[in-house]
Amino acid sequence: MISASAFLIGVGVATAIAAALAVVMVIADATIANYGEVKLSVNGGTKEFTVKGGQPLLSTLMGEGIFIPSACGGRGSCGLCRVTIDSGAGELAPTELPWINEADRNKSVRLSCQVKVKRDMAIRIPEELFSIREYRTEVLSIRDLTYDIKEVTLRLKEPAEISLSAGKYIQFVVPAYERTPDPVYRAYSVSSGPSSKGTVELEIRLVPNGICTTYVFNYLKVGDPVTINGPYGDFYLRESDRDIIFIAGGSGMAPIKSMLLDMAEKGSTRTATYFFGARAVRDLFLVEEMKGFEKKLPGFKFVPALSNPQPEDKWEGETGLITEVLDRHYQTLDHHEAYLCGSPGMIDASIKVLKAKGLPEELIFFDKFA
Amino acid sequence: MKQTVQMQAIQNKMKPGVIVRDGFLGTEARNLVDMLTEDEGEVTRLGLTHQGIARRMIALRDGGTAGLGEFIDVPPHFEVRVDSVRGRLPCPFGDPGIFPKTNATVRNTLKGREITYTDLHIHMIGSHGFYEGRGSQFRLEPRELAEVLEVRPAETE
Repeated sequence: MISASAFLIGVGVATAIAAALAVVMVIADATIANYGEVKLSVNGGTKEFTVKGGQPLLSTLMGEGIFIPSACGGRGSCGLCRVTIDSGAGELAPTELPWINEADRNKSVRLSCQVKVKRDMAIRIPEELFSIREYRTEVLSIRDLTYDIKEVTLRLKEPAEISLSAGKYIQFVVPAYERTPDPVYRAYSVSSGPSSKGTVELEIRLVPNGICTTYVFNYLKVGDPVTINGPYGDFYLRESDRDIIFIAGGSGMAPIKSMLLDMAEKGSTRTATYFFGARAVRDLFLVEEMKGFEKKLPGFKFVPALSNPQPEDKWEGETGLITEVLDRHYQTLDHHEAYLCGSPGMIDASIKVLKAKGLPEELIFFDKFA
Repeated sequence: MKQTVQMQAIQNKMKPGVIVRDGFLGTEARNLVDMLTEDEGEVTRLGLTHQGIARRMIALRDGGTAGLGEFIDVPPHFEVRVDSVRGRLPCPFGDPGIFPKTNATVRNTLKGREITYTDLHIHMIGSHGFYEGRGSQFRLEPRELAEVLEVRPAETE
């Protein structure tokens, strides 16, 4: 009979050999593996590329001018870069498991940042992603809107113009700096109007320890080059005659401002009310600009509300949480639609109030920061 | 201290680029088990438990949730803002579920100090006693947590 110690030694040796082989395979895959040229077929052959194998699908597509939304720069932590892969994907990577459920598996959905292109591959992506491009820009201006929100305006250089609808977002590429050895991507809503084709304006709120916002607040300066790609998103103003309710807080102002600029340029006469929540006067911004829309848009009213106005604020406007203001403002919502942008907590709480007032869920549109 | 194979596998997941770009280990060259043991000792010296600290973090975060993304007063003298950024993270210890990138920023107005933590921090502290490695941008020092959040000793909870 084999002794226990001999058995354990045997298991240990086998484990060590397996581990060593695994390490060798990983190193070989990363350094000497040559997958040669592989064919990448997109949307049933609508587009076909011959690419060098071995790189993640996300960056391979980027190299071919196809940009898949991603908020983490390809690290598998945002779960946004989902594509359908009909063939050639290989097994699910462990890093995909938190994001891919049973229904996704049945539909062959994968995270493009975690799938390497090693053999011919057939994928499907939404057609609208074909219009997404990368833009070289430079910083035209940086303005403090509050103590923790900056307005950054970028002048487009190559291409010189962007076509987007109000409510879309772009990805801002943060170059390598002391907090990151590699470029990272972060998503921000555009606050400028669609007609400002030569510039893109963003409102960026400081996230404690955030890689991108720290870069923007502490390093970025006028004249610096910035790469962006986009536009992305399905948050836009629907064509209808319903009264509009806008609700936002913090940098959630951005897409709503873009929509208001668009409405003003188009001479919209729709009734619209914009509820903007902040804690105190020092957290409010662009108040005069928003009030200015009341003159440009005959049916528009701006309702800023403070949840904790300070005595020195001498605030005479609405007070309370934005949900309380909403609750006071409307009895029933039978001819309305709502557009919300802000923190998940604000959006969830506001949706609850809107639904309680009778607004159907399908008429509530939102852009959550999550 | 010797480290189990399982613990080593977890430490591998904490390295830069596996779950998050910079990893969870900071500049640590020690085994994960040594990091956990040291922080366990510190928490014990403070008369606290990891679970007690996590409960306090949850209570303040939940109090701040009512601010709907803006700072709100939380008694007796805290201001808390709960906000989110796009994306979610899995636990490096392999627990089920993924955690939204929710930031709770707690200002202790009495002490003039502030601390920010995420839902994943709460989970890693409460379930694993892990505060991230030294040198990590997101490490939370147990003593600082105890002081800023005014965590009461375990026996009084």
